[in-house]
Amino acid sequence: MNAYLAVAAVLFVCGVMCMATKRNGIGVLMGVELVLNGANINFVAFSKYGLLGLDGQIFSLFVIVLAAAEAAVALAIALNFYNNHLTIDVDQASELKN
Amino acid sequence: MSVNEIIEHALKGEILPRSVQIFGPEIALCLTILALLFVRMFEIHRRLPTNLVALLGALIAFLGVFSQFMYVKGGSEIPAMMALFQAWGLTPEGVGEVGPYFTGLLVHDQFSVFFRLGLCLFLVLMIALTVLSGIPDSEDGQDFYTLLIGSSVGMMLACGANHLLTLFLAVEMMSVPSYAMVAFQKGRRQASEAALKYVIYGAGAAGVMLYGLSLVAGVLGTASMPELAAQVSTAFAGGSFVLTNPVAVTLALGILMVLAGLAFKLSLVPFHFWCPDAFEGAAAEVGGFLSVASKAGAFALLVRFCIALTGNPDPSLAGLNLSLGIGLGVAAAVTATFGNLAAYSQKNMKRLLAYSTIAHAGYMLMAVSALVIIRGANPSGVPGLTSAGLDAEARRCLEALLYYLAVYLFMNLGAFAIVALIRNQIFSEEIEDYRGLAGEAPVLCVCMLICLFSLVGLPPLGGFWAKLEIFASLFQAGRVHWFMWVVLGIAAVNTVFSLFYYMRVLKSMFLTERPVGARSALVPFRSAPGLYVVMVSVPVLLLGVLAGPLSQTANNVARILLR
Repeated sequence: MNAYLAVAAVLFVCGVMCMATKRNGIGVLMGVELVLNGANINFVAFSKYGLLGLDGQIFSLFVIVLAAAEAAVALAIALNFYNNHLTIDVDQASELKN
Repeated sequence: MSVNEIIEHALKGEILPRSVQIFGPEIALCLTILALLFVRMFEIHRRLPTNLVALLGALIAFLGVFSQFMYVKGGSEIPAMMALFQAWGLTPEGVGEVGPYFTGLLVHDQFSVFFRLGLCLFLVLMIALTVLSGIPDSEDGQDFYTLLIGSSVGMMLACGANHLLTLFLAVEMMSVPSYAMVAFQKGRRQASEAALKYVIYGAGAAGVMLYGLSLVAGVLGTASMPELAAQVSTAFAGGSFVLTNPVAVTLALGILMVLAGLAFKLSLVPFHFWCPDAFEGAAAEVGGFLSVASKAGAFALLVRFCIALTGNPDPSLAGLNLSLGIGLGVAAAVTATFGNLAAYSQKNMKRLLAYSTIAHAGYMLMAVSALVIIRGANPSGVPGLTSAGLDAEARRCLEALLYYLAVYLFMNLGAFAIVALIRNQIFSEEIEDYRGLAGEAPVLCVCMLICLFSLVGLPPLGGFWAKLEIFASLFQAGRVHWFMWVVLGIAAVNTVFSLFYYMRVLKSMFLTERPVGARSALVPFRSAPGLYVVMVSVPVLLLGVLAGPLSQTANNVARILLR
């Protein structure tokens, strides 16, 4: 089980690093996907080798669907942002300030 | 249990009829969404406005939850409610019985019914506001109401979450439609920027929260919330909660990540960045929805999660409860202080209300931290308080939170509604442009005065009792751990701070002259917008004068939840 958890942890850290360092909006969303999949691996590993049972598998199935839904909305918003600002750089999203 | 057995069990047993009965209002809302889409598909929307369909659906759902509320509160023998009870098919085995439904994924109790009632009422008022203010227009109506109602269903799920899966699903269901709602005015640069920030922070927070949930569920070996507390004891097997124990570290990390996800929804410092931007970029109506309904849903989740974790009598785990309570207390104090300080320099009214929302999330979190501290206390370690006394104090903390949320619903909705209605007249949301409005639209300005004074917490308005109850529960929690007295002091100083920036808005409205050439905002009392704001503000006054019935109900809700 530890090997699976290690892979999941590596995915999680990669995802968080990606979210923190990428300046491209799509890149940040890719980081989010990595984090979600890291959590999925955790769930499936705990389900197979731990005490979580079927709950873990169901959890990861739901997360796969939700990740797709969330990505669809996020990409639509990113596209809308591009239409209005002609860039997808999150640092350019700084017009709303005090 | 195999899948076939589960299906057999669910369909043939008593689970399904009971679950569907309790879930009736949510099903009504889902059907409303379908009806909205069909109305558009068959081009009926020119004759039958979509906002009326949405309003009707929300009203039906509200009646459903209201009948459940009365049934749970007063039993099946209320003559005036008989017709409603029968229409929704309420039975003693169904709604009358408190407990889990849908095979333990959701739970039905007074707490969830109370929150669902508030959310449905808010949904009705919200749709009525959008009808008056004209956002969205008739072409986009069905999209907007689909998102609004879908998000509300997510919040109603959040109130009854009894399983970590439902917790995550509810968070996602309430946030994904709200991202789209912030971006709803597609052509506006500000709206698209606000939505991008919101969606990126939100998706990141949801990812981190899910990873935390996987750690909590994996370490404890269960995802069912009522079992969490017992599993915490088993996982430590008599060892105490110290950070040299790897299980404790993993669990603490998991809990921290879950709380970070919830803190994002509650816009607590340091997860608040999205809040002012999203509120400024989005329409004021959407801002009102985010600031009231999604906060209420997230608080319901937070309370359920904290109660699930701290319902543990094992004294060796007191460290977990204490650190959780103090952590929440620190977050609450920092959030309230930050929100109030940052609101000072704001020129845009929506941005000011966003920071005020952050500050109020801080006050409400104080009640939760007091609850956790009191629940984790060892009765013998607190002078002057017996075990029963501690239970009564825990109930009062929860009562304070519920009362605050109920008052907050009206006062914050009122403030946002007035901002939206003034925007429709003068096309501006800058505080500068509100100068001298009292002469032209007295009803809007007087109602704004009521809402803002209530947000400060001045007597005799509802906000005063709400704050007083929270301060009282903090004081009692201070007897368990002195740190809560520090939090109480910070909260009191904050209340004084907050008076000044709310007063600035009122000063601009009432005490300055309307500049020559400014757009006029004539909203007479006898008009639909005038009556609407009066309707929303009167409960704020009423809850101040007659605090008894609501606090009694809230106390009863808390008693059943903490049993």
